[in-house]
Amino acid sequence: MNTEAIIDLLYKIADDQLIIGHRNSEWTGLGPILEEDIAFSSMAQDKIGQSLVLYRMLNDLGESDPDTIAFMRNADQFHCCQFVELPIGEFDFSIIRQFLFDTSEIIRFEMLSSSAYEPLALASKKFKGEIKYHIMHANIFMKQLGNATEESVKRLQDALETAMPYALGIFETSEYEDAMMDEGIFAGEATLRNKWTERIEEVISNTALKLPDIGNIEPKTGGRYGKHTAHLQPLLDEMAEVLRIDPGADW
Amino acid sequence: MYGGGNLFEPMSKDALKEEDPVKLSEFEARIERGEKIEPADWMPQMYRRQLIRMIEQHAHSEIIGALPEGTWITRAPGFKRKLALMAKVQDEVGHAQLLYSAAETLGKSREAMINDLINGKSKYSNVFNYPAFTWADCCFISWLVDAGAIVNQMANAKGSYGPYCRALARITIEEAFHLKYGHHCVIHLATGTPTQRKMMQEAINRWWKPMLQFFGPPDRISAHTEVLMKWKVKMLSNDGCRQQWLDMYVPKIWELGLTLPDDKLRQNPDTGKWEYTEPDWDEFKKVINGDGPCNKERLAVRRTAEERGRWVREALRKPKSEYVVPLA
Amino acid sequence: MKSLDPRINRLDVPEERNTDFRKDPMDQLETYEVFIQPKVDKPFQHEGIVHATDQDMAFVFAKEQYSRRGTCSGIMIIKTADVFTTAFSDAGVSIYQKIKPASDPEDQKVNYEVFHLMKRGKQHTHVGIVRATSTEDAVFQAKMILDQGKPVFNVWVAKSDNIYISEVAYRDIWDTLPEKTFREAIDYRGAEKIKKFKDEQGSQK
Repeated sequence: MNTEAIIDLLYKIADDQLIIGHRNSEWTGLGPILEEDIAFSSMAQDKIGQSLVLYRMLNDLGESDPDTIAFMRNADQFHCCQFVELPIGEFDFSIIRQFLFDTSEIIRFEMLSSSAYEPLALASKKFKGEIKYHIMHANIFMKQLGNATEESVKRLQDALETAMPYALGIFETSEYEDAMMDEGIFAGEATLRNKWTERIEEVISNTALKLPDIGNIEPKTGGRYGKHTAHLQPLLDEMAEVLRIDPGADW
Repeated sequence: MYGGGNLFEPMSKDALKEEDPVKLSEFEARIERGEKIEPADWMPQMYRRQLIRMIEQHAHSEIIGALPEGTWITRAPGFKRKLALMAKVQDEVGHAQLLYSAAETLGKSREAMINDLINGKSKYSNVFNYPAFTWADCCFISWLVDAGAIVNQMANAKGSYGPYCRALARITIEEAFHLKYGHHCVIHLATGTPTQRKMMQEAINRWWKPMLQFFGPPDRISAHTEVLMKWKVKMLSNDGCRQQWLDMYVPKIWELGLTLPDDKLRQNPDTGKWEYTEPDWDEFKKVINGDGPCNKERLAVRRTAEERGRWVREALRKPKSEYVVPLA
Repeated sequence: MKSLDPRINRLDVPEERNTDFRKDPMDQLETYEVFIQPKVDKPFQHEGIVHATDQDMAFVFAKEQYSRRGTCSGIMIIKTADVFTTAFSDAGVSIYQKIKPASDPEDQKVNYEVFHLMKRGKQHTHVGIVRATSTEDAVFQAKMILDQGKPVFNVWVAKSDNIYISEVAYRDIWDTLPEKTFREAIDYRGAEKIKKFKDEQGSQK
C-alpha cells in the first residue's frame, strides 16, 4: 500500500484534530454557561484523544513518538487546515467553526470507515460515537442560535461568512488523491466536499441564516503543506512552552 | 476545591427564638438519628441561610478555582498532561455546576449567586487569589490544594443536607483523580532534572502559607459554630482539617526530598499534633476582603466571561420560561 | 489587564468597571432533572439538574456533566416543572401510608413515570409506569401497584408524554468511555518512581 499517501493523510487529520482540540480547550472555565463549558471541554478532549490515536498510527509507520510530533514541530511542518488554527474569537465563531469543521469530520470518518488501510478504518469506526455527539451539539446550537434573537442571527451570519473561505480550505487536495482512490484508502476531498455541502445546506435551511455562495468563494488553502496563518506558530510556541524548558525531561 | 475556613454568619443567642419549638425538635431529632434533611422539609431559617452561604462559597471556589490551573491549560507538557489538565479543570467547572444546583434547592437562584460573586458580596476560597507562576504551581494546586479540599469535603459529605451530600459524593470520586494526577505531576518534577526540582521547590515555597491559610483561621479566633456542628452543617473544625492535611501530606512532600519553608514545622511526639509558624491572619483577612494579588483579575475574568456569554443565553432563553426550584 | 494566563490576555478584560453586575431574570434558563441509566438492565437514577433551553439541549449538557465517566446506556430528561413530588416521610415510615385515593377518577387515564426515594440523602430511582387520571391519582396508583412494602420516603411522578429518553441508536456515544482513562485516578501511579528515587537517595548517602 502507498505508505507515503497514508502518512500524508494521517498527518493532516491528526494535526486538524490536535489544533482544533487545543483551540477549543481555551474555552474551559470561560464558556457562556456552566453546562456548555463542560460540554465544550469534553469535545476538545475527544479531539485531542483522537489526534493521539492517529499520531500513534504514524509512530507505527516509522514517524516519531506522539509527544515529539505534536509538540516539537514548527508551523511550517504542520498539515492542519488554516481553519482550525484561527483564534477562538467569540462563541459565535467557535460554534460556527464547530459546525462546519465537525460536519466535514463526521463525513470524513464515515468515508474512512471502509478504508483499505485497516488501522484507520478501525479508528474511524471507533470515533463515530464521539463525533455523533459533537454533531448533535453543533446542530442544536445552530438551530437555537440561528433562529433566536436579531443579535444571535446576525452574529452567526457574520461568523459564517468569515469562516467559510477557511472552511473550504479543509478540502485542499493532496498530491495523493488519485493514488488513495485507486487503492481504496480514501475516496477523496472532492467527494467529501460535495457531501459536506449537502449536509450543511440542510442544517442551515432550518435556520434564519443564509449560506454564502460557496461556489464563488476562494478557499484558504496551503495549510496542508505548511503554509499557515500568523496564528499557528504562537499557538505551537505556547503549547510547547513548558516542554521546552527542559526537552529531555520526563514531565 | 474548598478548604473550609468558612465564613459563617455570626449567630446570636436569639436566632432560634422565633422558630416553632416542636418543629425544631423534630428537625434536630432527624439529624440526631442520622437521617438527611431534604429540600422540602421544614428547617430553621438559620440552617437554610448558613447552608446557602456555605454551599455558595464552595461553588464559587470551584468556578474561580478553575482559573489558576486554567492558566496552564494551553501549555501542559505532553499529551498525558494536556488531556489530564483539561479534564481536571473541567471537573472544577462541573463541581461548581453541582454545588450551585445544591444551593438552588434552598431557594437562591444561580443568577443571584453569580451576581453576588461578581459584585464581591459573597466569598470564595482565598487560596485562588494567588497566582500560578509556573507549571509547578499548577501541579502544587492539583495535588495539595485538592488534597486540602478533600479533607474538608469528605467531612462535609457526612453532613445533614441531602442535596449537598449527593453533590459531594460525586465530587469526592472525581477528586480522587485530581489527587493522583497532581501527585503524579509533583513526583515527576521532584524526581526529575535539576530544573524541574528547582521549579517544584520554588512553587512549594510560594504556596506554603496560602495552603496553611486554606483551612481558615484557628479555632480559638473563629466564630462559634456549636449549633452548626450540632446541625451537621460544619463537620470539622478549621484546625481539625489543617491537622489532618499536615498529617497526611507533610511526610509525602518530605519523602520526595522537598523542603517546607518553616523552621518550626514538626510533629509534636507527645501530642501527635503538628506545630508550625502561625500564618499571618491579618494578611488573610486583607486578601479575603479583596486586597490579594489576583482578586481583581479573578472577578474581572469571571465578569468578562459572563458578559461575553450574555447574548448566547439571551438567545436561548424562552419568553415564557419560569423558574422552578430544582427538586433534589 | 495583564495575566499570567495567555488565554486571558486574548480576552481583553477591562481594567476597571464602575457598575454593579446584574443578571437578567432567567439568564440561567430553566432547569431539567437528569436521570442516568448506567447499564441497559439497570433502572434510571436521578443524578441532578442541568440548566438548558429545551430537552434536546438538556440531554446534550447532561451527557457530559453526568456521564463523562463510568458507563451509561441512556439518559432521561424531565423539566423540573413537569415533576410532581409528594411530601417526605422519615423514621422508617413510608410516605405511601399518607396517600389516599385521588378525587377525580372520571378523567381520561394517561401514563405516568414513577420514581422512589428509598433512603434520605440517596437518589430517586425509576420504578415503573402507572396509568392515572392526575398526578395525585398517579401517586395513589403507584401505591397500589409499585409499593413493595419497604418504606418509600418520597415519590416523584411525571407524565410519560413529558419525558425525553435518549434513543437507543445513540448508545454508541458512550462507547469510548472506558478508554478515557486519563479521567481516572488509576491512570496515575507514582509509587515506582518514588521508590527508585528513594533508593538512589539512599545509595548516595
